[in-house]
This record gives sequence, C-alpha cells and structure tokens, in this order.
Amino acid sequence: MRTWLVSFARRGPARYLSHLDTLRAVQRTFARAGVELELSQGMRPKPRLSLPLPLPVGAAADDELALARVTDAAPSARDGLLALQAASPGGLDVIALRESPLRARPQPLRARYACEVRGDAGAVAAAVGAFEEGEPPRVVRRGPKGTKTVDLRRSAGAVSCRATPGGAHLEFEVRYDAGTAARPQEVIEVIADKAGIEPVLHRLRRVEVVFAEAARAQHAPTQRSATT
Amino acid sequence: MGGEFNLRRKPGIRPRIVLSYPDAYEVGISNPGLQILYELVNDRTPAAAERAYCPLPDMADLMRARGVRLWSLESAEPVAACDLWGFTLPHELACTNVLEMLDLAGVPLHAAERGEGDPIVMGGGPAVADPWPLAAFFDAFFIGEVEGRMAAIVEALGAQTRAERLANLAAVPGVWLPHAAQAGPVERQVFTDFACTPPVERPLVPLVEAVHDRVVIEVMRGCTAGCRFCQAGIWYRPVRERPVDMVVAAAERALAATGYDEVSLVSLSSCDYSGIDEAVRRIRALRPGIRVSLPSLRIDSAATSLAGLAAEQRGSVTLAPEAATQELRERLNKRVDEAQFDEAVRAVFSGGFTGLKLYFMIGLPGESDDDVVGIAAMAAAAARRAKEIARGRARLSVSVSSYVPKPHTPFELEPFAGEATLRRRQALLREAMPRHVRLSLHHLESSLVEATLARGGPGADRLVEDAWRRGARFDSWTEHFDEAAWRGAAAAAGLALGDPAGEGAPWGETGSMAPWHAIVDARVTPAFLEEERRRAAERATTADCRDGVCVSCGVCGAGVEMEVLA
Repeated sequence: MRTWLVSFARRGPARYLSHLDTLRAVQRTFARAGVELELSQGMRPKPRLSLPLPLPVGAAADDELALARVTDAAPSARDGLLALQAASPGGLDVIALRESPLRARPQPLRARYACEVRGDAGAVAAAVGAFEEGEPPRVVRRGPKGTKTVDLRRSAGAVSCRATPGGAHLEFEVRYDAGTAARPQEVIEVIADKAGIEPVLHRLRRVEVVFAEAARAQHAPTQRSATT
Repeated sequence: MGGEFNLRRKPGIRPRIVLSYPDAYEVGISNPGLQILYELVNDRTPAAAERAYCPLPDMADLMRARGVRLWSLESAEPVAACDLWGFTLPHELACTNVLEMLDLAGVPLHAAERGEGDPIVMGGGPAVADPWPLAAFFDAFFIGEVEGRMAAIVEALGAQTRAERLANLAAVPGVWLPHAAQAGPVERQVFTDFACTPPVERPLVPLVEAVHDRVVIEVMRGCTAGCRFCQAGIWYRPVRERPVDMVVAAAERALAATGYDEVSLVSLSSCDYSGIDEAVRRIRALRPGIRVSLPSLRIDSAATSLAGLAAEQRGSVTLAPEAATQELRERLNKRVDEAQFDEAVRAVFSGGFTGLKLYFMIGLPGESDDDVVGIAAMAAAAARRAKEIARGRARLSVSVSSYVPKPHTPFELEPFAGEATLRRRQALLREAMPRHVRLSLHHLESSLVEATLARGGPGADRLVEDAWRRGARFDSWTEHFDEAAWRGAAAAAGLALGDPAGEGAPWGETGSMAPWHAIVDARVTPAFLEEERRRAAERATTADCRDGVCVSCGVCGAGVEMEVLA
C-alpha cells in the first residue's frame, strides 16, 4: 500500500460542493484516472481517501490536500499526476502529487482565508478593529444537542483589511489547535454585521492551510507547501 | 450546478440549443433522455447543446428579486438568447415548472406573444401524448422518439427568420405546431436505428449527488407485455433490443469515462431483454467491484433474474404485482398468479436480499374494496415468507399509488376513481395493512392534478397558467405542492380537481373523439384499443407479441418492426 498526498484547487461552481460531494468527486477522479484506491476493512469497505480539513460550502480554495492510499499497482507519482489532471472535473484542479511514507492523517494547525466584501471600507476596517479588540465576538450555535456559545477570537485572528474598489479585501486566520474553531463564515458575518454590510460568502477563499510540523516537514506535497 | 465531467462547451456555435428538464438539477441530471439528446446534438450535429434546469423556489425568488435571468450551465449565457429551447416533458406534474422556467428566462409565456428575438420553444417526451395542457406555451412539439430527426431539426434552424424556421420545422416528420394549420394527426416517430446505435457512452457526471448516480445503459426500448393501464407500453412500441456486445462495450467505455462503479441496465422491463443474463455476467466480469442493477424485476422471471445479479448486492428488490387479486390482474393483462408471486418472494429472500418493495395501484377500472384489502393480504403473505426465510433481517415495504387513466391506452376513456373513493380506499389500506409492513401511499392531491391534466383538452392550458399564477410549481414534490393554488384554479374553471380539464370534457360520455387523437397518432389502432378494453371487461388476457403471436396493435409496418435478439 502506498500513500499519495495530492494538492488540488477548488474553483468556480465546484466551490458550492459540500465536503462529501468534494470527496466523492475526488474519488471518481481517481477511478477515471485508472488509479485504484485501497479499501478499508469491514462489512462495507470504503476507499481510503480523506480530505483532512473540510472546506465550507461556497468557499474556493487554492491549495487543498487529499490523502489517498493507493494499491501497489498504481503508477508512479509523475504518471499518476498526469492521469489525475486529465480526469479531474472542471473546478477541481489537481496541482501536485507526492508519494509519502505518511500513515496518519495530517492534522491541520491553521488556515488563512480571504474574502471580498462590498461596502464602505472604512466601516469594515472599524469592524475589524472591534473584532480584534472590542467585546469578545461570540456566536451561538444551535444543534440537536442544544446550543453552544463560541468565542470567535479564541481561534480567529490576524485579521487584515484593505480597501478595494467598492469594498474591502479581508484576510484572517483560523487556528485548529485551540479547541472549538471559528467557522470562517461566522467571522465574516460578525464583521459584516458590525460594519452594517451584507456578508458575501461566495467570495470566500481559503488561501493556505498549515499542517502539523511533523507532517509538513517530512511529507510536504508540493514545493509551494514549504511556505505553509 | 454545472462543472460536470464530460461537459461539452461549444462557444459561439449556432444554432445554440438549450435542453431542459423541468425539475430541480438533482432530478434532471439523472434523466437518461436528456443525456441522449445532449450527446447526440453536441457530438453528432454541428449545433451546440447546453442545459438549464428549474431553480428551486428559494433560488427562483432570489433571482426575481435581483433581476437575474435563467442562464445555461455551459456558457452562463441567458437561455432566452438561444435558438431552440427544448423541454423533455416527463409527466403532467412538471407543467407548472415549464411556465416557471419561461418566466425566469424572460421568454413570453405564450407562443403567440413571441417575436423574432425569442427562442423557438419545443416540447417532447412522454407527456406530449396529450399536448393540450401545454399547447399555449410551446411553439412546437415533437411527437415520439426524436433521435432519428435531430439532424433535420438542427438543419431547420438555419433559416433566416423565425417564421421560416417554424415552417421548416413543420416539415420535419413528428413535429406539431399548435399555432399553425396542420392537417391530420401527427404520427408518433419511432427511432428505427435504435438497435444499431450505441447508448450514451460519455454521460455527464454531476459533482453533487443526483437521484440516480450511476452508469445508465438502455438495453432495450419498448415493451410488449401489454399491461392495459400502461402508457409507456404503447408509446415506445415496438420492442427493439441492442446487441449484448454493444451493451457490454458501452458499459465498459461509460465506466471508464465516468468513474462510477455501478451500471444500471434500464428499459421498461429489463428482465425481458433477451440478453439480460449474458450482459449482467459480462459487465460484472469487466473488473472487480462492479455492481449491476435492474430497475425492477418481473414477477414471473424474478428467480432467474436474481440469480444473475451480484451475490454481494444484499440490498432491496422491487416487484410490481400492480393488483392483489387474480381477477383484477387479468383485467390489467398482468399474466402472473399467486404461485409465481410466492416463488419470486422466496427467490428474493433466499438470494440474500434483505429488502423487498411491492408496488400496487388503487383506483383501477373494475376495482372493488375487496381488491384493495387484498393488497394487505398479499403483503401479509410475503411478510410471513420473509420471516420464514430471512428471520429478523427482512424489510418489507408496500408502495401504493393512485391510478390515473392515460391517453392512448385501452383505459383512456375509463373514469378516474375520484377523490372520495381514493381517500376511502387509502384509509382501508392503512387499517388492513399489517403493522410490521411499511406502507407508503402516494400523495393523493397530486394524483388529482395528474388526472385533471393527463386527459386535458383544448383550454386545459388556461388551468395550468392560472394554477402557476396562484403559486403552483414543483407539483411532484410533496413539500412544494400547493393544494390551494390548484383547488382555486380548478374552482375558477368550474372543475372539481380530478376531472379532465378542457372544453368538451369528459370525452367518454359524449362519444366524441378524445382530443388527443386529433393531434397525436400513437400508431396503435382505435380498434386495438377498443378490443383490449373489451377483453379487460371480460378478464381475458392478451399474449405478448414476443411470443410469436401478433396482437394486431397496428404499430409495425412501413419500416417499423420489432427487433429482438436471436
């Protein structure tokens, strides 16, 4: 059994895919490429393919990671990359592939998000200031097991804002090693609410994901990941 | 959604044809008919085919609020700017979605109001067996199977003016223009090259989960079992079978082109396909893990068919007795008896399958309350057999829909059972059904709408428009069905929901020719339909013409023949 770390981008209409739809689309890309995935053990075997950090619906992404266990019959990484690129659907573009001895699923540490919002850039900048230094920005999540209040500032920060024609460009970071993580859409909604503008979630983009040091150092999938 | 694998883009190409299935994307992308046309137009004609589906109500409301027009998934260009907008019309409950899509696209609802810059709106598919309920909204209808005439349709669109394009279309066999003088009924077209034309091999693979998410191979078209209630059995005659080699090769190419691991061998009755065992065996042998599914099994051949399916497919199987008593089955021309049913149930559970779904109808001509209670008795017998063989693992469910008489069938002039009778019989069933059998009853109110439109006559389109203006859309979705809109529209038209709509209805009582026969010649003779209706009343069954006895339905002849594998 071999492990492939595959980098891919999610763009265009594909950004509206759910996590499971994205996983299924990547799995079918492997099937069309003729690359056989290992199956899990048990009564209902599943292909051993995972996307370590699910993307929110509506978010594009520049460099996502898929971890695939392929059979020994799989081609070389170079040939595999070409086959996957030829078999990927529009909007899910395979960028790079590296073979790795990694066994465990990489743990995400932090990710950086960007979003274009429309409205008064000054108001957005003020809202960013309030997010970072004012009253703790809290959101209430409602689920089948009741409600949960999350302080977004515990995991989200390093927010930057610059004016663009007709709006502002926001960037912020979410940490995934500090308990319950903020959802990027929650960060945008809170800032948009404070700024009195409409949140435009379909302009959300994940620009970078940083994985745990061990995984990153030994098994970085691409040259670009040296910066992550 | 768009972005599918195998999507074709032909920017700047004319004519630009937009193909639509008037339902949500997840439903429409699964329609094999649209996939056939998409591949045919894009790969075998100089035209470009794009697609648009019906946005769900929340999206449609947002589009209206923000002034966004319906666009096609391939080019993101407005649908209204295409040359031909073709709708596959699957059933009557999609009628209001056609209006919804026209409105969202900014295309005038009524064909009479369209001008030079508007697309030609054309309808096809099984629901055009009676086009009256949509006649006002379409410039043209295609009656029958369009594959053999697509090149001529594309060519007709090359004319300079809209009027010339319509005149060219009128000359294509199978085309009916509701707003032009046209002599005589239009003969239903049969695709005579079906058996020598490969099925779709590069289907669109959706990125989101669709209703049917698998390779679909049409192994056969037509069915001659002769069930008297079945419109498709008439509409797709005669039977034409594709060679097994072609089916297997197409499955292999489609699996490679899609990444699916399941192949569904579809037709109106796949168990009747002469090469079914060989096709299943050879497709399963293509590579490990390939699953083969059949849409439903015939009771009289279930044991054989199940043996050919994958042993590891321990899922669910559907059997369709349609009626519970021998007398009623004979009226319907369902030539199965209780011993065959019992054998089929044994085969299901002995074969390792853990689920069985039984499909019935109520409201059939000649039906009594005893026939309805008989459904519960039949389910109880199946449940006993399931318990005996599969112990606690077996799941049994019964699905019951309300019968709606359809045009061009032997029962086309039979009365619809009506709301009160169906409601009472549904209650009877709920009471009689064993507790451990899961009973699923079809939404009654949508059956009433179906009955109103299925045998609509001239003027039925006004009812559709009124219902849509009152808010009706997605009528086949229980959660979106707007009963008040339909009841209001029916009341305004002086109808009770369930009565056929249109001027001069009901047709059977007046002795006048049913209005769909004035437009559509389905190729079966009136004498055949009348004879079958008489035989139903006498509980006389009619043989399947596959067995060598011609039943003189009138379909074959002039180059149209049954094609069954030797």
